[in-house]
Amino acid sequence: MTTSQTSPLIEMRNVRKSFGLFEVLKGISLSVNDGGVVCIIGPSGSGKSTILRCINGLTPIDSGTIRVGDFSVESLRSDKKLIPLRHEVAMVFQQYNLFPHRTVMQNLMMAPVQVLRQNADEVRDRAEKLLAKVRLTGKESAYPGELSGGQQQRVAIARALAMEPRVILFDEITAALDPEMVSEVLSVVRDLAAEGMTCVLVTHEMRFAEEVADEVFFTDRGVIVEHGPPSTLFKSPSDPRLKDFLDKVL
Amino acid sequence: MTLDFSWLGDPLYQQWLITGIGTTLLMSLLGILLMLAIGIVGALFLHFRIPVLETITTVLVELFRNTPPLVQLFFLYFMLSSVGLSLTDPVTGRTVPLFSGFTCAVLSLGLYNGALAVEIIRSGLIGVPSQTVEGARSLGYTRFQTFRHVELPIGLRLCMPAMTNNVVSLIKTSSQAALVAVADIMYGATQIMVETFRNMEVMLLIWALYVVIASLVVVLMRRLTSMIRIPGYGVDQA
Ligand SMILES: Nc1ncnc2c1ncn2[C@@H]1O[C@H](COP(=O)(O)OP(=O)(O)OP(=O)(O)O)[C@@H](O)[C@H]1O
Ligand SMILES: [Mg+2]
Repeated sequence: MTTSQTSPLIEMRNVRKSFGLFEVLKGISLSVNDGGVVCIIGPSGSGKSTILRCINGLTPIDSGTIRVGDFSVESLRSDKKLIPLRHEVAMVFQQYNLFPHRTVMQNLMMAPVQVLRQNADEVRDRAEKLLAKVRLTGKESAYPGELSGGQQQRVAIARALAMEPRVILFDEITAALDPEMVSEVLSVVRDLAAEGMTCVLVTHEMRFAEEVADEVFFTDRGVIVEHGPPSTLFKSPSDPRLKDFLDKVL
Repeated sequence: MTLDFSWLGDPLYQQWLITGIGTTLLMSLLGILLMLAIGIVGALFLHFRIPVLETITTVLVELFRNTPPLVQLFFLYFMLSSVGLSLTDPVTGRTVPLFSGFTCAVLSLGLYNGALAVEIIRSGLIGVPSQTVEGARSLGYTRFQTFRHVELPIGLRLCMPAMTNNVVSLIKTSSQAALVAVADIMYGATQIMVETFRNMEVMLLIWALYVVIASLVVVLMRRLTSMIRIPGYGVDQA
């Protein structure tokens, strides 16, 4: 990669997106440094998921620019052109989005083998290490439907890691989990962040955001109202909308 | 009324029946393969909303679904033979029609039940959760790869019950092939009736034969369904 040390890994500039007449993103700008951990918080419907989906090209934007590493995301218009981007940017979803008809091991191996055309034996070695990392050794031949929510979400994280991405986007990955499973998933993310993986997290876990984030962005109705290091954002919010939001969730 | 099954002892009639069963099974098997191919390709056209092909598929599906299969078979048979396509058998040197009654019967079964299969497979595809598709897309799968590796395998599993009915319907419909001189079970039965006048007994046997074949197929399809069932799936998703 030729990206210089100083320029951020992800850079969104003035991104706009409408669904029909409804403008969901009204000029979003944000940047994420290589190895940085960024959290996006905000009320439901404020456009948080849409921001993530724009970053990996799942949702095409109307105007503005998105750069990830050397890729100019808005110019990647075909499935084939998006493959290298999706190699670098992995995503983990609220509903896990695993392949229900494939075993845990197959879930991890499918994309590297079928999309990236990597050697199956090498991918299997890597997948075994990743399963150990998310503490799921022994579940290789289980199907997603046979696992708990927390286990499925850890499989989803391992599946994302199997692509050897530079960035992982996490979209409310603990929102569908029973409370006792939240911590097992968050501790995996904490480890990743500590190892220097670049992470963008949409989350309602404010304490976790405060703990791991280098920078927090607060979105409301399609704009970024306020952003900054968690210490200032959570301790001394300046915008009334953010104050209001924090009062409700904390 | 007394039933007389003594004709069953005649080796010639046994031969006819056995050949008939073999023909019915072969014709049905080929029909099922064609039906599946048509169902998958048609569902793909509809699913991806491919311009022109989508419209053609919709029109053809309606056409084949809503007309009697026997009319379709006769139409195929008389149309294709009047076009007069024929080819020369390389072994015997004789000229044979390219589309025999058997070929027409297979084509007609494939088309009629294939039209039904298009809708069946499509409804299976619609049942695939959008999140699963999105998971694949986020991993770099193209639309077609997603279809091949994710949507189709899941969709086909979801539509197994309806597909089982369609397979049974195809086997039953195959009995009309006798009307274009295909020597299937029904054809053998008609021949035997002409010679023995034991209409009641022959029909009872034929009925039993179809019951046995259909039941075996249902058992096989159930086996297949449970073999490919997704463990732990469909409890809360469906
Ligand atoms: N594909 C779509 N078509 C139409 N509207 C959409 C689409 N995707 C999102 N929206 C709308 O855009 C708005 C923002 O959606 P988004 O999912 O980004 O919000 P969010 O901040 O992630 O909310 P939540 O916290 O509930 O997940 C919502 O009002 C949603 O209804
Ligand atoms: Mg969301």
